[in-house]
Amino acid sequence: MSQITRIPVTVLTGFLGAGKTTLLNRILTEQHGKRIAVIENEFGEVGVDHQIVIGAEEEIFETNNGCLCCTVRGDLIRILGQLLKRRDRFDHVLIETTGMADPGPVVQTFFLDDELKTQFVVDAILTVVDARHFEQHLQDLKEPAEQVAFADVVLLNKTDLVDDAALARVERRVRAINGTAKILRSRNSDVPIASVLGIGAFDLTKALAAEATFLEPEYPFEWAGVYDLAAGSQAFGNANNTAHEHHHDHDHDHDHGHAAHGHGHAHGTHLGLALIDVAAGATMPALIEQAVRLFATDATDIDCGGSITGPGFYHATLTHAGSSVSIAPAKPGRYAIFLEHAPEEFGLSLAQAQPVEERRFASHHHDDRIASVGISEAGELNADKVNDWLSYLLKTRGADIFRMKGVLSLKGEARRYVFHGVHMMFDGQLERPWGDMPRHNSLVFIGRTLDRQELEAGFASCRA
Amino acid sequence: MAKPQAVLAPGAVARIEDFPLRASWAPDSSRFALAGGEGGVYSSLLAGETLRIDKLGAHGMGAMDVAWRPGHPQFASCGQDNSIACWDAASGAQLWRSPRGKQWIERLAWRGDGTLLASAAARQLTLWSADGSSAHVFDALPASVNALAWSRDSRDLAAATHGGVSLLRIEGERYDHRPLTLAETCLTAEFSRNGKVIVTGTAEGSVHFWYLASSRDSQMRGYGGKVEYTLFTADSRYLFTAANNELVVWDFGGKGPEGTRPQQYRGHTERITAIAVQPNGNHAATIGKDWRLALWLPGKSTLALDAHMPESEPVLLSWSPDGRKLLLGEQSGQVSIYRLIRPGKGD
Repeated sequence: MSQITRIPVTVLTGFLGAGKTTLLNRILTEQHGKRIAVIENEFGEVGVDHQIVIGAEEEIFETNNGCLCCTVRGDLIRILGQLLKRRDRFDHVLIETTGMADPGPVVQTFFLDDELKTQFVVDAILTVVDARHFEQHLQDLKEPAEQVAFADVVLLNKTDLVDDAALARVERRVRAINGTAKILRSRNSDVPIASVLGIGAFDLTKALAAEATFLEPEYPFEWAGVYDLAAGSQAFGNANNTAHEHHHDHDHDHDHGHAAHGHGHAHGTHLGLALIDVAAGATMPALIEQAVRLFATDATDIDCGGSITGPGFYHATLTHAGSSVSIAPAKPGRYAIFLEHAPEEFGLSLAQAQPVEERRFASHHHDDRIASVGISEAGELNADKVNDWLSYLLKTRGADIFRMKGVLSLKGEARRYVFHGVHMMFDGQLERPWGDMPRHNSLVFIGRTLDRQELEAGFASCRA
Repeated sequence: MAKPQAVLAPGAVARIEDFPLRASWAPDSSRFALAGGEGGVYSSLLAGETLRIDKLGAHGMGAMDVAWRPGHPQFASCGQDNSIACWDAASGAQLWRSPRGKQWIERLAWRGDGTLLASAAARQLTLWSADGSSAHVFDALPASVNALAWSRDSRDLAAATHGGVSLLRIEGERYDHRPLTLAETCLTAEFSRNGKVIVTGTAEGSVHFWYLASSRDSQMRGYGGKVEYTLFTADSRYLFTAANNELVVWDFGGKGPEGTRPQQYRGHTERITAIAVQPNGNHAATIGKDWRLALWLPGKSTLALDAHMPESEPVLLSWSPDGRKLLLGEQSGQVSIYRLIRPGKGD
């Protein structure tokens, strides 16, 4: 009798001043044909044409289910319950959280409340990021990173207020925290409404159907370029080569500190670099596999100004702006260069050649306490062991795991096992058959102080 | 064929352009007031098989409660415009309206003698005199109020919140707060008619009750979801509770329900969305997401005495004070009156 379509809910987060209200106003005033109810964190109630705006005072409760991280928004339960007491239903609900809010309680409300979980479905967690101030906020506060960690979609806003290099840097920081979120760039929160509402990004099954590469595996490199190289030395370094002029326009105290320690080399950046001789017909996936293996080997150190003469894995030292190493293959041919960091991070380029193919990968930087850990591995898992591992993981680390998502290949099961979770709330189900697709396990954990080795060991213990 | 014990006979029907959300009957069972989920406030007149419903006013985008004033032809309403209004049911005139507050006013309850009206807006409980003046504003409670109820002797006002039930004793100008603490989210507050017990259902799937004289408390667990309904029968013997599609009845006769097993009535296939218990008897009616309207009598059988299937999803149930009429509101806006027929009982 109660065959109803669940109402999609978008959870809108973002630090103070990121542009949430601007986006809200766009959504409310644009002619998109949807009837939207907005629950925002202010008092009052305003009708805008066919839309409704309800003010809410965030009232967070811990539930009494033995889990400290299981919290719900009591005010949302009442307000959303009231929205159902109408003859005509809204097409979409948008919940704005305060700038300092952890989106966890909002999302968990939809897992924990009997009525809400049958009437509503979380469409996406949308986090607006102020491109100009995000890095500063990351240094000072924990909320901005948490909000990005929870996101299905990150709206990198105010892109007009930063230069390209800063924007790329901010995007990498976002990617380092959340390896799976879709990133949209915007000025003044101006994005197509269809890209943020009704996208089904929270539910992993839907997200996978929309975008098969949703769970892209994580690699130890961020960039690859394939080049046709002539024989001889080619400088790989900053395009604005300043001929090794030592313009130390950074902190002199720091510089002097190094000198006082008597180090024989200046402080600098050590860049992981793999050079691969591309065999005829080799595809990018094959090169990626080779690069992964190379990055797992011991690196050969190359000092600033040194030469890389053949395939291998290297740690190149780039001491300052304008420094470089030489790529000097003994024989001409097609070569792939894999870089630990994106080249623009150091203004790197190959002086005499343009790449014939270029590929970027999710950032693997884990310099923030909140980060993503991805596991990607072929093979089959034992369902009971998976259950035991995930149960143990949620029990012991649930408070620190903000989001987790995965697609697993279980032994003896023709269908893909798809799961997702928020803190200790977990939802998993068998989905469509693998068919001709290679059976593969992809998992992503996003959380605070995650231990990659522990997660990898746990995963390994599940092998069938 | 055995004679049925009781049936519900469909009778008068009317329709409102609104979602029937809450109802409150006049003491003489001739009228009722309605709160509409889309804002309207309604008054009705029931004469024989004719039901007339008039819209009197509105509370912004949603009316949230109505409460008939005991002993008077008046009722109060409240809602999402953050105000309370009091209406003359016969003329439809608005008698007073409170200043607008900052929060939705979600619950109303008149004291049994009709002298004080309690209102709940989030964490704020307020008492109003019958003329609309503010009589007392309580200190904000620790959490928002989910349910409000007066004891039969009108001495205590109970408010169910996350963290327990606040029992507020009101004697003249003196107000005492007696918290009944519970580390759960309390969704209901129900005094037994004999005044011995107060019960709450929780979001965590339990029913908790306190014996008021001794403060001794007990808890019943095992529900498959949150317990949104806890209602005593008129003789205070049976407690109807519901969570999801389970209708569970506890027997408070003898030494009480502790250590006993409840009766489970399985007449609904989907979530129960309302229970109404006869004010002067033990019959109960339920509606659910399966669109069923079912009639029950505890202690006799765990099967429904009667069942109906309305034309649209039933969303509101309310017995008249004389226990003879059952109001059924549907999602479409239709409002129907069913009469309780008990063959051989002179009905």
